[in-house]
Amino acid sequence: MSPADETITQFERNARVVLEASVSRIDARTRSRLNQARHAALEAASARRPAWWRSLALMPAAGAAAAAVLVATLLWHGQPGERGATEAQRSAVEEDMDLLADGEALDLVEGGDGSFYEWAVAETDNGESEG
Amino acid sequence: MPAALHGDVDQTDPDAKTRSRALNQFLASVELKAFKIAQAALRHEDDALDAVQDAMLQLARAYADRPHEEWKPLFYRILENRIRDMQRRRTVRGRVIAWLPFRGEDEDEEPDPIAQAPSPEPQPVKRLELDEAMEALERALGELPRRQQQAFMLRTLEGLDVAETATAMGCSEGSVKTHYFRAVQTLRAQLGDLYV
Repeated sequence: MSPADETITQFERNARVVLEASVSRIDARTRSRLNQARHAALEAASARRPAWWRSLALMPAAGAAAAAVLVATLLWHGQPGERGATEAQRSAVEEDMDLLADGEALDLVEGGDGSFYEWAVAETDNGESEG
Repeated sequence: MPAALHGDVDQTDPDAKTRSRALNQFLASVELKAFKIAQAALRHEDDALDAVQDAMLQLARAYADRPHEEWKPLFYRILENRIRDMQRRRTVRGRVIAWLPFRGEDEDEEPDPIAQAPSPEPQPVKRLELDEAMEALERALGELPRRQQQAFMLRTLEGLDVAETATAMGCSEGSVKTHYFRAVQTLRAQLGDLYV
C-alpha cells in the first residue's frame, strides 16, 4: 500500500468519526419523529392481511348473493299462471289433514257403522212426516 | 399456514412476528444514518425526515418478505430515489417561485426547545474540534456533485461495500469506485486529512 493510500485511509477513518459524531448529535425531536415513522412503517407491513383472511372477508358478500338467488327462485316459482293450481292443491291437502285428525269422521267414511246411517235416515223421514 | 405461502405478514404466524421484529431492528439501525444522508443531500430537516419515512414505508410494504441481507441496499435505493424526486420537485418549485412577484422570506416555525436540546456530548474541547470538523465536512459534502456525495456517504457513513453501494445507487461497481475516489480526492483537497 502506498503512502497516498494510507493517507486516504486515514482521511476516511477521520471522516467516519466525524460523521458518526454528527449522527450521535441528532436531536431528541428528530429521533422521536424517526421512531414514529418506523412504527408507522411496521404497522403498514402488519396491516397486509393474508389471502385466507381476505377470502373470509368475502363471506358476507357470498351469503348475500346466495340469499338473492334463493329469493329469485321463490319468486319465479310463484308466477300468477300457476297460482290457481297451487291453491287447489293446498285446499285438498287441508281437507285430508282435517279428515285424518278427526277419528269419528274417518269411521263414517269407512262405513264401519251402517246402523247410524239407517237411524239418521229414519229420523229424517219421521221429522218430515210429522211436519 | 397459507399466510406464509402468500407472502403476507400475519401476526399470528411466528415467522411473521420474527420478520416484523427483524424489520424493526433493521430500521432502527439505519434510521439515524439515513436521516443524515438525506439531510446532506436535501439540506432541509423536514424534507430529510419525509424522505426517510417514505423509504421506511415502502420497504415495509413492498420488500419486508425479501431476505434480510437485501434490505439495506434496497432501503438506500428507495431513499435515493425519494431524494432525487424531492430535489427535482424543489427545482421546479424554485423556478415557479422565481416568477412570482410577491414572494417573501421563508416563514420558518419558531425553534422547538426540545429540538434544541443537546444530545449526550463529549468533553468541551473535543466537542469544539468535532464541531469544526463536522461543519467543514458537511459544507464540503454539500458542494460535491450528487453522485459523489452519495457514494461517499453510503461507503463511509453507512459502511456499504462496493456491490451494495452499486445496488443502492443503481449503477455499476466501477462507477461507484470512480465516484467515491473523486469524492475523497475533492474532500481531501479542501479539508486536508481532517484530523479530529
